[in-house]
Amino acid sequence: MGLDRLTLPVPVLAVCLAAACSSGGGRPAHLLDGRPAPELRPVRNSVIAASRLLERADVQVCQAGADRTGVASDAPVVERTGVDDHSITFASRDGSRVYACDGGIDPAGERAPPWCGGVVGERERGRLLDPRLDVVCHDRQHRPLAYAFVEPVARAGWIGVRQDGFVELYDVVAGLPVRVASRRGIDLENARAVFDVTQYDAAGRELVREELEAAVAG
Amino acid sequence: MRAFVAMLGIGLTLSAVSGAQAYHRFWANCNYDAATFMTTMTRDAAQDYANAARYEGYQWGGGCWNYDDVDSYPNDPPEQTGTHGEGGDCSGLTFKTWRESTDGSRDGRYYWRALRNVHGPYTAADFRAGYGAPNHTVAKSTAGVMDAFASSTHIGMVFVRSLYGGDQIVEAKCEACGTNIFYRTYRSDSAYGGVGRWGWTG
Repeated sequence: MGLDRLTLPVPVLAVCLAAACSSGGGRPAHLLDGRPAPELRPVRNSVIAASRLLERADVQVCQAGADRTGVASDAPVVERTGVDDHSITFASRDGSRVYACDGGIDPAGERAPPWCGGVVGERERGRLLDPRLDVVCHDRQHRPLAYAFVEPVARAGWIGVRQDGFVELYDVVAGLPVRVASRRGIDLENARAVFDVTQYDAAGRELVREELEAAVAG
Repeated sequence: MRAFVAMLGIGLTLSAVSGAQAYHRFWANCNYDAATFMTTMTRDAAQDYANAARYEGYQWGGGCWNYDDVDSYPNDPPEQTGTHGEGGDCSGLTFKTWRESTDGSRDGRYYWRALRNVHGPYTAADFRAGYGAPNHTVAKSTAGVMDAFASSTHIGMVFVRSLYGGDQIVEAKCEACGTNIFYRTYRSDSAYGGVGRWGWTG
């Protein structure tokens, strides 16, 4: 059931709860799953999102209906857990498609946690044509959360995303585009988001900085 | 020689500027007006709305067109939102035709004018999975007029259900093929699923 069919008190209550739960800026001490948030020393005020390579994952759950005929059953799956975000990323056998499942709260209440969105990206000559922005998810405080892919440049070991008061670092794993998230720069009305992205080498030296402007498409 | 190099530099700079401006073209005609909340939404009206978008082009991530039956900027590079050409993409056309809200938790009926530049929060894959309060999946065999067939990468709406297994599908297909009505066999294609919109009033 959508909000348009609900009576007033429920959305008002949700807004009040979100406002009460809002946290200020500053470096968070913990990741989404409660584990301590480590810092990469060369990057000030950074938080390293946890990542691990899964040999198998239940990708059916978040990619319901998606055409995954080209995905090997033992395809490597990269799982990432950040401060507000949680995602998995995997690719088709021939590398022509990259899939991601995005974690968070589904504001429509139709999808069971942990997943609230899923995207498919087409690759040409090994690079994604589009960052596959997803703006349908909310974080645990019911604030909008945007996900997008970032293609690592040569020698990149970390992808940094400027958040409120800290830089969230995602490591480059398995030669796949890196699924990043942000609560900043989201324009829900126009289904767009701007990510302040800095890429670092493995030692934390800055390689390139860019504003990634992404829009929901396709 | 020095003068030549200087002129060459100026020429290159100017050509780069005009190139950048060329990618901010049709959207200069578009607006960001609020949608009109509607109490009704008929399949006939949805057919008319989508039919009127024919020949108006295709723009990745777009949702803005006029009614002159010409794609003002065809053949842009694929999957580039920054080209700002005329037309919707497949999910943008569906979103506007189905009178959806930019808020995925709302299932009311929101009329968007053609020149209102809006794409909506859903990709074809989202529609395919029935994501969003207004959307749901349907059995392909029962998909009727202005229901849709969606895959991971494309969505098209049933304009007319045809004999011989296929359908006339209204869709924003690609930069080269634009927005039009095509005979398609999505109904029997395993990559596609049936999707629908709640709330038709007729």
